[in-house]
Amino acid sequence: MIRIRDIMTKDVVTIAQGSSITEASKVMASKSVSSIVVVEKSGPVAVVSESDIIAGISSKKNKVKDIMKKDFMVISPLTRFSEIEKSARNKKIKRFPVVENEKLVGLVTETDIIGATRDFTRFSQMVQEIILGIFGLATAFFLFYFSPLGASIFR
Amino acid sequence: MARVRKIMLADVPVLKKEAKVGEAARLLAQRGSGCVVVVEGQKPVGIITELDIVRNVISKGKPLSMPIGLIMASPVTLMEPGMKLDEALKIIDTKKFRRYPVAENGQLVGLATKRDIVNAISDNLRFHRNIQNTVLVLFVLFELFVFVFSKYLAGLPFLR
Repeated sequence: MIRIRDIMTKDVVTIAQGSSITEASKVMASKSVSSIVVVEKSGPVAVVSESDIIAGISSKKNKVKDIMKKDFMVISPLTRFSEIEKSARNKKIKRFPVVENEKLVGLVTETDIIGATRDFTRFSQMVQEIILGIFGLATAFFLFYFSPLGASIFR
Repeated sequence: MARVRKIMLADVPVLKKEAKVGEAARLLAQRGSGCVVVVEGQKPVGIITELDIVRNVISKGKPLSMPIGLIMASPVTLMEPGMKLDEALKIIDTKKFRRYPVAENGQLVGLATKRDIVNAISDNLRFHRNIQNTVLVLFVLFELFVFVFSKYLAGLPFLR
């Protein structure tokens, strides 16, 4: 079972509400990230992504607080990955701030979700192959049991 | 295994490379596709993502009137619509990009993203796993049945 704390990015880049869009874009460029979390008293209040910045620039806005998205889903480090996978897909949510004791401790981004999906798929395939192996052995035993040779040994 | 054609986004925003960054930004904001494919005629020659604009234009305080040809990523890695998803994933693992224009005979026909490809593969495998497991359970039940009732079954006339 994959927990959020295993897949989340721990070094979250943060910014204050009053900053300008240019500042936010500079932070994004220098830290090579595509989303930053707007924090207030160490708790997340909004998320700003590169799409928000583009949208803000094309509608001539200046401040981070005019472009930030407040409708985000907060999760805990102990949340299971499968729980957020659905929201990520159906509601097209790409970023999930991770909060513990009202403090921002991490961020799950689209990249993390894609990576976890791949790991999860690989893991499920492995489990499947083990099940198939056990089944194969069981079938072999079954056939042997009913064969003349098996019958002379077991009965 | 499904092919790229099935999961690609067919309606891709495109611009010529002389277009201004401001136009690209407006298009990106309207369409929410995350990138604009730069074309010459119908041929994809480059790609420009939201991140390119943020990193190379906005953060450096450059004017939005500069042409996108200066900041686009080019040449661009293409996928073909008939490509299997496994092959597409191999390309993704070597190139490490997130978005790939899909072209058929040099003509742009769609856009494939890493997310859609990984999700499609995962769904596909899950679907097959479910079928496999159902067959397995039926088989095991049948075996169990034969195993338990073999004594009585042996007495049936048509099995003699």
